[in-house]
Amino acid sequence: MAAATTAAKRPAPSNSDPQSQTTATPAPLSFPRPIFAALSPHPFLRAHLTSTAPVADRKSGAKGASKRQGIRANGRTPSESRTPQVHTGSLTHCNGSTVVRLGNTVAVCGVRAEILKAEADVEVTEKVDEDEDGGDDDDAEEELRALGLLVPNFEISTGSTPLLLPGNAPSAFAQTLTARVRNLLLATKVVRMRDLRILYTPSIDEEGVGGTRRKVVKGYWTLYIDTLFVSLDGCAFDAAWLAILAALRDTRLPRAYFDEEFEDILCDDDPAQARRLRLRGLPVPSSFAVFEAGETGDEDDDEEGADKMWILSDPDAFEEQVCREAVCVVVDLDRRTGGRGMVVRKIEKSGGGVVGRREMRGLVEMAWERWKVWREVLGA
Amino acid sequence: MAMNTDRRRINAPSGGTSAPVFARTVKEQGYLQSLRPARTRAPNDLRKIFLQTSIIPSASGSAYYEIPSDISPSPKSLIPPTSSLKIVASIQGPKPLPRSAPFSPTLLLTTTVKFAPFATRIRRGYIRDSIERDLGVHVEAALRGVIIGERWPKSGVEVVLTILEADEDGFWGDGGKGEGSGWGLLNVLAGCITVASAAIADAGIDCVDLVSGGVAAIVPNPESKNGEETEVLKVLDPSPAEHEDIIAACAVGYLAGRDEITEIWMKGNVGVSPDDLVEGATYAALGNLAVLKEVLLESIQARFASQQPQSGAGDGANAKDGPQQDVEMSG
Repeated sequence: MAAATTAAKRPAPSNSDPQSQTTATPAPLSFPRPIFAALSPHPFLRAHLTSTAPVADRKSGAKGASKRQGIRANGRTPSESRTPQVHTGSLTHCNGSTVVRLGNTVAVCGVRAEILKAEADVEVTEKVDEDEDGGDDDDAEEELRALGLLVPNFEISTGSTPLLLPGNAPSAFAQTLTARVRNLLLATKVVRMRDLRILYTPSIDEEGVGGTRRKVVKGYWTLYIDTLFVSLDGCAFDAAWLAILAALRDTRLPRAYFDEEFEDILCDDDPAQARRLRLRGLPVPSSFAVFEAGETGDEDDDEEGADKMWILSDPDAFEEQVCREAVCVVVDLDRRTGGRGMVVRKIEKSGGGVVGRREMRGLVEMAWERWKVWREVLGA
Repeated sequence: MAMNTDRRRINAPSGGTSAPVFARTVKEQGYLQSLRPARTRAPNDLRKIFLQTSIIPSASGSAYYEIPSDISPSPKSLIPPTSSLKIVASIQGPKPLPRSAPFSPTLLLTTTVKFAPFATRIRRGYIRDSIERDLGVHVEAALRGVIIGERWPKSGVEVVLTILEADEDGFWGDGGKGEGSGWGLLNVLAGCITVASAAIADAGIDCVDLVSGGVAAIVPNPESKNGEETEVLKVLDPSPAEHEDIIAACAVGYLAGRDEITEIWMKGNVGVSPDDLVEGATYAALGNLAVLKEVLLESIQARFASQQPQSGAGDGANAKDGPQQDVEMSG
């Protein structure tokens, strides 16, 4: 990160080619770096990716590798992701909260639990009560979805990016993000329905048939998952999911019980009685953007390398603007094989046809590497 | 929880949810009162503030402001303690107004204040309510008197303040009494003014002076035992939860260099000497200004220090546009 501002001040030499074609101007036009990036973002990124010269002394560690790959405008190699940082428990009024940094993307997430009272007492069978890892819980997911116990929402228009200003309704981007996150939350079944039920065993069991006490669901915990972007520099989905996952892992629900005297659900404020949410798995998304060299339709299409493309992992805001094709791969540890292999939980791809089967295989591998990084950061 | 269905967001379950009720607060007599915080500072002591600029690289100026809570969350209870103030300010612009906008000879200032849903003890919605709009107008008034708007004709600047955590209106255990009284809002306003001022300075927008916010309040003197009604105490930077009762309070936006006040918000029964209260608030603002100045000086020094090695760049003014700046953000 710190190395990004240094060097590469002047545009790389390959940029002067278009001018020398048209007129015979001897001195090529030279801009300061930010202006070049703003005026012609596509050639700017291409110049960076194709230039190989200034790379070697930049990263002392990976000399050979980066030399071949070229370097992005933000100083990373195409396959290099930003290291996530997580800080938990920073908000007072939340059951679980995190501040997550992914480079210049900063998200704050707070999970707040409130109680939804059950309309009528729902009896619980012992089977549902004890569903463990493997048990088939399609009903549980249906229940979670039907009751709407997970309420993820986003606020992006906080001045975090110049593109989205406050005072407007949530943009299409924000709405898409919300829908994607909610779908992933439900599809991966990260939150267990069992953790959210508030059970009650009637002390006077007038219906105690068969010797076993009946349990009744008196209410449900509803999790309001509010994520707020303080600063947005690309990869909003990854950052949002990381923030949510970390906040959910941090969430402590107080012990809630039905009090017969008050005829209402009360909670115990003793931290020893509270329990953490036991999340199911650790699905980790990795976003990629595909940058095509010959995308703009310039005259220099016939140049060699015009059909070249780069897959940039963890793209920042500038790269997201330039690239059209985007891929998001969600992977998790495969629990059924005893925690050795990996499973793909979701693949999203849009905007182009560059990434085929072969490339996708590589991306999944990279996503798996990313999973390991996340696991370390989250301490899972 | 207002049941307005917002089609663009995900809504709460249709039945509505309620915040958890803790058993000990309703069953044990006196437990609530044992949680009540008390002011340990001297009447003229201010709470420590934490301020940092340039936290959002894509904004032209930004700042983060926090009054760290001196009460650490108690290990014995899950009930959240008194919250601290945490505000993020972001400046977008100045940028040209759209062609459709009418001509403006000065800089158009737009201030937006928004509470995060988790900012207060009772969860807030996403749609801006009247309190937030009101606060926005107050902050705007404080800032408008400082910015030299004539230097940016036909342009607009957007000041966005996001309150991650707000001061409370009173001790939460007092039930509905403290809620809605708005004592906490004065602290929020003062914080907003200070942090917006820092962000504006960070954005390099010309100002006549640095504005800073401060609050003072008149509270019943806890020392007075014999019930004399005249026994009141003026405190600077009150934390409403620490006082059982607040008689009057005042928040100001104060320009120390010119001894001017750009914004004043007074509440309650001030009595015969409102000037005394205003003066107290300006003292509090002076205290905040000292921190503000120091932070800005530090950030400028850091910026110049990072500029030195790359002398050949030639565009020193564009320091903000460097793609990466290392930022530490706590909170």
